[in-house]
Amino acid sequence: MSSLRSAEDDLARALRSLEARTPYAEVMAEVTGGHTLRHDRNATTPAPLPRLEGAVFRAWSGALWLETAASGLGRHALDAAAEELRGRLPATPTTTPPPGDSATGRGERATTEKRPIDDLSLEQRLEWAKTMYGYATSVPGIGNAIVTLGHLSDERLFLSTAGARRHQHVVRVRTTVVPLAIENGKVEYDFLTLGETGGAEIVEKLTEADVHLVAKEAIALLAAKEAPTGRMTVLLDPSTAGTFAHESFGHGTEADQMLRNRSYLKPVLGEVVGPPELTLVDDGSYPTGWGSIFFDDEGHEARRNVLVDHGRFVGALHDRESAAAMHATAGGNTRRSDFLSRPFVRMTNTFVEPGDWSVEELVKEAKEGVLMQSCSSGMEDPLGGNMQLKVKKARRIHRGEIGEMLPSLALSGGVLAFLKSIRGVGRKDQFEMSPGYCGKGHTDYIPAGTGGTHLLAEAIVGPA
Amino acid sequence: MSDEAFTAFRVGEQLRRSLDGPWEVFGERGRRYEIHLNGATTEMERGPLHVEGFGLRVFRPQGDQYGVGFVATTDLSEAGIARTAADAQATSAFARFPTKRVELPATVNGAGASVETVDRHLWEHPVEALRDYVHALVSPFDGRTDVVPSFGSVRAALSETTLTNSEGIQRRVRRTTVELEFAVKAFGGPEGRAPGEFWVNRETCELTTRGLAEDVAQWCQRAQDVRIARPTPSGITNVILPPEPLADIVPPILGFRLSGVAELRKMAPTPGDRIAAESFTLDDDGLLRHGLESAPYDDEGNPQVRRTLIDRGVVGTPAYDVLHAGAFGRAPTGSGKRGAAGGAPSWFRFTLPPGPSATTLVVRPGDGGSEEELIEAAGDGIYLGQLGFPFPDPLSGAFGGEIRIAYRIRHGKKAEPIRGGTLGGVALTAPGAPSLIQSVRGIGGRAELRGALSTPALWVDGLTVAGEGPG
Repeated sequence: MSSLRSAEDDLARALRSLEARTPYAEVMAEVTGGHTLRHDRNATTPAPLPRLEGAVFRAWSGALWLETAASGLGRHALDAAAEELRGRLPATPTTTPPPGDSATGRGERATTEKRPIDDLSLEQRLEWAKTMYGYATSVPGIGNAIVTLGHLSDERLFLSTAGARRHQHVVRVRTTVVPLAIENGKVEYDFLTLGETGGAEIVEKLTEADVHLVAKEAIALLAAKEAPTGRMTVLLDPSTAGTFAHESFGHGTEADQMLRNRSYLKPVLGEVVGPPELTLVDDGSYPTGWGSIFFDDEGHEARRNVLVDHGRFVGALHDRESAAAMHATAGGNTRRSDFLSRPFVRMTNTFVEPGDWSVEELVKEAKEGVLMQSCSSGMEDPLGGNMQLKVKKARRIHRGEIGEMLPSLALSGGVLAFLKSIRGVGRKDQFEMSPGYCGKGHTDYIPAGTGGTHLLAEAIVGPA
Repeated sequence: MSDEAFTAFRVGEQLRRSLDGPWEVFGERGRRYEIHLNGATTEMERGPLHVEGFGLRVFRPQGDQYGVGFVATTDLSEAGIARTAADAQATSAFARFPTKRVELPATVNGAGASVETVDRHLWEHPVEALRDYVHALVSPFDGRTDVVPSFGSVRAALSETTLTNSEGIQRRVRRTTVELEFAVKAFGGPEGRAPGEFWVNRETCELTTRGLAEDVAQWCQRAQDVRIARPTPSGITNVILPPEPLADIVPPILGFRLSGVAELRKMAPTPGDRIAAESFTLDDDGLLRHGLESAPYDDEGNPQVRRTLIDRGVVGTPAYDVLHAGAFGRAPTGSGKRGAAGGAPSWFRFTLPPGPSATTLVVRPGDGGSEEELIEAAGDGIYLGQLGFPFPDPLSGAFGGEIRIAYRIRHGKKAEPIRGGTLGGVALTAPGAPSLIQSVRGIGGRAELRGALSTPALWVDGLTVAGEGPG
């Protein structure tokens, strides 16, 4: 029996001790662990991930939420955290319930691992990492490569005074290969990342050809010419389109920002914001998605939420409070980073649905511009409505053909203007999902998947 | 509180009976308190959020190298400690690191400097301190309708870290860390309905209202300026960078490239090479007053000091922890930190093994005078208020991001606000090639501490601005 299940009676008892002071309370208890391995020319560093256990209690005071938490799942720690919360609640409990609907569902779910990751021994992981390292360094000019293989096990139990009981165990596996090209003090690299919920079967998806390709790209980046700057036609690769969907659009659909009048998208809810072939989705139930969960941290089931439907902005992401305020239903998007972090409205797997253009057609349509590849990061601007994406590499598009390598670039501009400028969305065969970590502002990082196909539009491009 | 209660000492007592060879335990016991704002209203109070755990590192010789096993946990039971020790030893059998020796600090190894790491009032009265601060933060908005708080949070971490090792050392450091996230938005007036926002993120080790009213006034002005900002022009390369945006660029890139980790991977500049302008000197100050990473000892127990990393443009000695010092046959520099350069966590340090990292980077003030004097000297260009995020890339040295707010400099004066487009470049690259620190043309006379960097404003030529307005 896991330590979480062993602690369930103590969790339930501690939760019940709050009932005399509040109309609603809940507890989220968590056990995390896993393993990571990093290998390069200089060092091999295997490490079990920290085994962390703890629980956070939340209760409604009548005017605001109060929370306490403790690491460890021992009876003493749980009782102490509940007692501290009791002490902060009004002696005479409010009769005003918290805003929104309290989840009442019960259920147990776990990630399907076709081949359990725990069956992959440390020897096998090391052998895999050395093989990938060998693939990368077999390319002339690559003297070193960083290879990582990790898995994260996250088990959560949610109980509430409304009767909800949700238990879930999510396993995420992630691999990266970063070939390093160093010449006369200049350092360049490209990267390959794969991450999904699942088991050891994910590790087997990286191929020698994939690694050779990124190694050659790292070499090519050493000689990359200065990039063009200014407003131009841009063709986003699937990783960049996915980050666009998440950072530039998705954050503005988090309805807590709308309640704060802090979303540039609030005034255009229900309106046409893009071309008919543009559909954006957030889906916490996406099979094998890096950001997939079974239940959110308010006990609601994860589900598919359409944000933009054929060009029309139709929906936002909600927690219980925003759903109540905006006459919507909570859609499984309330997430905590861990048992010590507060819940926020968050994305899960956010992506651009495929269109019907081939890559060749999109490049030809672009005529002049840049193809932006290997997106490394993005940053939201929920109120200003501007976008900021960074890619590790790009290629010039000249006379409708893909040309020379360009170094890392940043893309910026107004999101709504960008949406209106979309001229084509790539076909289903280009669709890719990428693993990432998403912050709410600069904190509270959670696993979030992004995905899409190629996207042709206009934006401002500059160095990064 | 008795010594036996301290996390690492308690765990170490059990391990001392069972572990052979070099080992080290880093313990942490922390409390966190938070207030979250929706507008000027408190929407959530959190705390105490308790965490206690430890990280164990064991070292096993493997030929001419060492295998290092690191495991962390919140399980402080006797069985949990024993399991962690077994896991760390098993891991060390598969690990390898090219160090020739492991010399953990011993009891007699330095007394450590005296440095204040705790905001005593916050430590003793966290709930009241946070509420008072939030009151001071939002009260300037009483009665204002043109600019209002958008959202925010103040999060205080109070942690006590303890360290012991196979040499018998016992170290204890208490820290307070405060994270402020606060956004203000402006609207109304002749500019129409579209609001403007300025969003602040700061990390400090004390919770003080000193200067807060002036800061709030500046943030409000920035939010108002966002509303009237014009598109950023392209092609301007003459830029004044104040401390705030520099703090997001310099520590992640220079902190990494001037460390033993980069040296091991042949990414560090060679000591003696000229990589920056002659006017540019950079120190790593582990004892800086109010520095986030200031402490008498680093996270391996070695004394922290102030060292020069770049002396008038010339590279000095990188930062070494125990392992990297051993790899290069040098002495540790008191730089064994649990957390990446410029991004050390305010708590949860116990979950990370130490690595060589700068503490607070300090750009020595120059003769450029005040920001106004630097602007006057620059003549024409851009004064950068804020980038969305500069995406610093420690490996390549590149950075770049969207301009959230900046100001044109015309005829030596700060002129109209601008926004949009990107600003970017390379912070550090090969000797002789253009970079941010090579292209410094002026350094202000007064430094400000922002996160992991203390710096005056820098006047830099050679950055690239990509916008859509005419140059």
